[in-house]
Amino acid sequence: MSDTEPSKDTVLEVNGLEVTYSTNRGDVRAVDGLDLSVRRGEILGIAGESGSGKSTLAVALLRLLKPPGRVTAGSVVFRPAGQSPVDLLKIHGEQLRVLRWSALSYLPQGSMNSLNPVMRIQDQFRDVILEHAPERKEALSELIPRLLGQVGLEPRVARMYPHELSGGMKQRVLMAICVALEPDLVIADEPTTALDVTIQRVILQSLADLRRDFGVTLMVISHDMGVHAQLVDRVAVMYEGRLVEVGDVHQVFKDPQHSYTRQLIDSIPKLGRRAS
Amino acid sequence: MSVIELQGVEQRFHARGTPDGYLTALKDATFTLQSEPPQIVSLVGQSGSGKSTIARNILGLQKPTAGTISFDGKDIFKLSRAEYDNYRRNVQPVFQDPYSIFNPFYRVDRVLWKAVKKFGLAPDRTKGLAMIEESLDAVSLDPAGVLGRYPHQLSGGQRQRIMLARIHMLRPAFVIADEPVSMLDAQIRKTFLDILLDFRRDHGMTTLFITHDLSTVYYLGGGVMVINKGSIVERGAVESVMHEPSHPYTQLLLDSIPQPDPDQRWTNRIHVDDSGTQTPDSAPQEPVV
Repeated sequence: MSDTEPSKDTVLEVNGLEVTYSTNRGDVRAVDGLDLSVRRGEILGIAGESGSGKSTLAVALLRLLKPPGRVTAGSVVFRPAGQSPVDLLKIHGEQLRVLRWSALSYLPQGSMNSLNPVMRIQDQFRDVILEHAPERKEALSELIPRLLGQVGLEPRVARMYPHELSGGMKQRVLMAICVALEPDLVIADEPTTALDVTIQRVILQSLADLRRDFGVTLMVISHDMGVHAQLVDRVAVMYEGRLVEVGDVHQVFKDPQHSYTRQLIDSIPKLGRRAS
Repeated sequence: MSVIELQGVEQRFHARGTPDGYLTALKDATFTLQSEPPQIVSLVGQSGSGKSTIARNILGLQKPTAGTISFDGKDIFKLSRAEYDNYRRNVQPVFQDPYSIFNPFYRVDRVLWKAVKKFGLAPDRTKGLAMIEESLDAVSLDPAGVLGRYPHQLSGGQRQRIMLARIHMLRPAFVIADEPVSMLDAQIRKTFLDILLDFRRDHGMTTLFITHDLSTVYYLGGGVMVINKGSIVERGAVESVMHEPSHPYTQLLLDSIPQPDPDQRWTNRIHVDDSGTQTPDSAPQEPVV
């Protein structure tokens, strides 16, 4: 792939990443020698079918990989603005904790279950913000409504409990928490899977807004090529743990270089009025 | 031939914060399901549209606040014990969550044996077991791989297929499937839908398939009803509803499917209000070209 050239506009640079799951039937290489870079301010899509290694890639980058999975080779250089680059695979404990939320945040799959059911939404914001940026304590009462506004939610949501919110609203609350501390990179793993199409559209709209209005860099993992076509700038296609294609989304859809990419695009049933 | 007929079914719930203290989940639902010819009818709508309420009403789990549901001309809430057993035998559910329908303390065999015993499907244990194995086979499960296991030892797709095996044993005239595939991944989802299509073809089962996923509806074909805010707003053959939707809500649903073409991005925006209902910025919506 030609886009592994390091530059100062690169937020994240993955080199030769290899993740292996040990099972009693031998080792399975879920990510196999992957090179990829994420440019500041872009929305990068990661496409691929179930089992292609997309989610494993995300959890490995975030250092959330659990045994029997382990990183067996490679480096992940992360360049937060105004700080020296770090290899995410080499740091531990406190160093990692400081980076999380403030420089690198994660919007998980099924974030329905990611909010604390017995805390009001505003207290969940408070937790994250005070932990990582205690100096903002005074500004909280102004900050929380503004963050909710960024994802199209009313200020009164702050006083609600998670059970009072719909699935799409919970997902947007999580998006707002993810960007609360203006991280350099947000990794979203299947952010709209299992949501209704209309809610999905609103979520995609909000993700695009976050980038347009606040310059958030996003890595969006999805099996749905439709999501990539609607949202991302560049798309990277994974197949059996390898990257088979990376490029401008228009280019990839118009002229896929790999037959697997073509299959992924063609596998979407064309329906509705826009299909002809 | 059997017929389930809904006539003006309305379901209200007590709810705080609404003007009159009630929330109307379902308004004036009127439709029929027939066993001849067997068909698949999808009911599509978003969360909170009332689609699961219809399933609960038809299954007799919730008595509607107005209207009637009849089975072969008899109100299902006024059936005798024997008639009700017959109704339950002929109208079988599949639910969304393949985790919560099993009692974790019992082996999965139990739900199958229960069906054999409750409905007297087999005269003895040997024949019962043969029947169970045949039905597991019909849903592409290996009897040796699932019998004797506990629910947590099976995957979600396997558990959902056990419920289909149960249906295969009972051969009901109707299957009421409430979001049965929304927790399954794409490949397993297809297997599940193919089994339902087989059941229609080979055993003449009519299915009411409740979902929020339009691509599933498209795959199944047959008929479709679109429900929005408790009202059925459009109905017809899948092909015609998908290609020539007449109601603005159906148009909005179809327009919100992300098209796999970066040159055809959405140009208009939609809003979701807090009750989970949508209004397009500009109604009626023009196709985005």
